[in-house]
Amino acid sequence: MSEASAHALDHHEPVTSTGIHNKKVLMWAFLGSDCMFFGTLISTHLIYRKISATVGGNFLDIRDVFDIELTSFSTFILLASSLFMALAVSAIHKGNLTSTRWMLFGTIIFGAIFLACQVYEFTHFVHAPGNELTLSSYRGEPHVFGSTFYVLTGTHGTHVAIGVFWLLGWLAYSFTGKMSTADAMDVECCGLYWHFVDIVWIIIFPVIYLMEYAF
Amino acid sequence: MSGHSEDPVAEESKRFFTFFNLSMLLVAITGIEIVIIYVQTFDGASIIGVLFATSIIKFVGVITWFMHLRWEKILNTILFLMGLVIAVFTYFAVIYMADDPPVVEEFVVSPLEHDWKADEEYQKGDYVKHKNVFYVSNIEQNSPSIVPGEKDSANSWNKVDGIPHQFTWKVSNGDLIEINSLQPGNPFFHQYHPSEIYNIEGSKIALLTQSASTDDFRIKVRSDAFWVENQ
Repeated sequence: MSEASAHALDHHEPVTSTGIHNKKVLMWAFLGSDCMFFGTLISTHLIYRKISATVGGNFLDIRDVFDIELTSFSTFILLASSLFMALAVSAIHKGNLTSTRWMLFGTIIFGAIFLACQVYEFTHFVHAPGNELTLSSYRGEPHVFGSTFYVLTGTHGTHVAIGVFWLLGWLAYSFTGKMSTADAMDVECCGLYWHFVDIVWIIIFPVIYLMEYAF
Repeated sequence: MSGHSEDPVAEESKRFFTFFNLSMLLVAITGIEIVIIYVQTFDGASIIGVLFATSIIKFVGVITWFMHLRWEKILNTILFLMGLVIAVFTYFAVIYMADDPPVVEEFVVSPLEHDWKADEEYQKGDYVKHKNVFYVSNIEQNSPSIVPGEKDSANSWNKVDGIPHQFTWKVSNGDLIEINSLQPGNPFFHQYHPSEIYNIEGSKIALLTQSASTDDFRIKVRSDAFWVENQ
């Protein structure tokens, strides 16, 4: 075992009663609770989508306002960002600071692109001529779809934004010269959060967007 | 599970290819999802089934490899799955609470045993009984109509094998309706997904081997959380 590797190991597994770093246990517990949070939001959206299936006497066809090409693109972007994040965690474990920095940068850029797509999408939805989808109405008729949709996807977007700021913090920290393998666990926790945001979108994309095209 | 190989640097290097391959797999699966939606080859229920399966695969892929659960102690998996299981139960609980049990407001089965009458008008698809034989009208017939079963009546009347029965139903809500016979010697089964899930009304004419009434059939209606039947 190399000296660097041994040094890295020292920071991975401190002696705890669980045998796992407390920060990591805390992060997994948080992600479990966040699952429940998104579970309720997704459930709420699906329930209201079902019981409020009409608007102004007509079947609610949201495909007129959705831009599935853009959403597909942002999905690919978020999936790619997860690869960068996994490689960033891998790089910091190996003590490769340069690679860590580049991978963090890639994750931030892709996360920012995803957010930009979402901002564009929301703006487009709210101002779509003839198909305006606001928080309380669709095509000028009162409807709940906008409420549940924006709250769900907006909450996810907020999670992405928090992740981007967290990663920006790590990127800035990497330039201070203090970053080392001792920070691997913290970066890994950040990575867990980022991947969680990714898996939430893995559920949201087919359930909220693609399912509208199934019938 | 937990732990690292003797050289974590070498281990991390090996993971690079795992991460890359997984990433390509996720992109490919997402591409398949989009293609399935665009092609629209399958019916809605099948598409939802496929989307559900692909989402599960992607979900498991990310938590197993990207989130390192494969290499972690079981405690982390339990912590995460606890939240996930509660989230899934929340979904079904909300579905159950938001769902009303379907009510079969009307269900009638009656044989169509109208005797043919010479001075009556018949529409295409009307059934008549003449000399204990059942016929269906092929065309619109004005009075006086052609006698069923007589010479040169083939263009106007078709003899049918069986006794025509009219099924009518009215249901408060549901997404699947099944009607089946309770008499083994008089088989009948009809299943369909109504286009609307509320205030469903429908009717159907079917040929049965024996004369039957409403009591000889069962109608079952499914909603998200309930199966209701009326015998």
